[in-house]
Amino acid sequence: NPIVLDLAYNHIDFPSLQHRM
Amino acid sequence: SLEDLFASLNRHIERSEFEEAVRVADQVLSISRGDEDALRCKVVALVKADDVDGALSTIRSSKSPPADFRFFEAYCLYRQNKLDEALQSLKSQERSSATMLLESQILFRLNKMDACIDIYQNLPKPKIESVEVNSVAGLVAAGRASE
Ligand SMILES: [K+]
Repeated sequence: NPIVLDLAYNHIDFPSLQHRM
Repeated sequence: SLEDLFASLNRHIERSEFEEAVRVADQVLSISRGDEDALRCKVVALVKADDVDGALSTIRSSKSPPADFRFFEAYCLYRQNKLDEALQSLKSQERSSATMLLESQILFRLNKMDACIDIYQNLPKPKIESVEVNSVAGLVAAGRASE
């Protein structure tokens, strides 16, 4: 069976917190 | 202070301590209700901690969810195998590489290979080989491997 990678997962990203620290 | 909490949150994220990150994000939210950065961190950390149910209920309980929460929601529905609901959610969103990738993965699971391949072929030029891997997987499953 062909395997499909979960590439969408890589688009679940943390925001930058630089300006909050 | 809020700054200290965000520094702590950032440290947990950098160390991939996602459950700790959720705990600190909750601390921020108890002080700064509806804080978008904390909310976004909480949802992403829940997904990365493999708590998709928790991520979805956090998204749905947020009073005024930011636009990118729609993508997170569709992704969580995909992970719960609620594929039709995930597709519906995606259809109401602005198209991006992220929404297109997710849509193609859903179509793959629904065994709609031609539609799945169609999206891969319309994606902006693959920056990563993995997109090619998924595209080939779709072609193989559709019996179109010669392409
Ligand atoms: K899949």
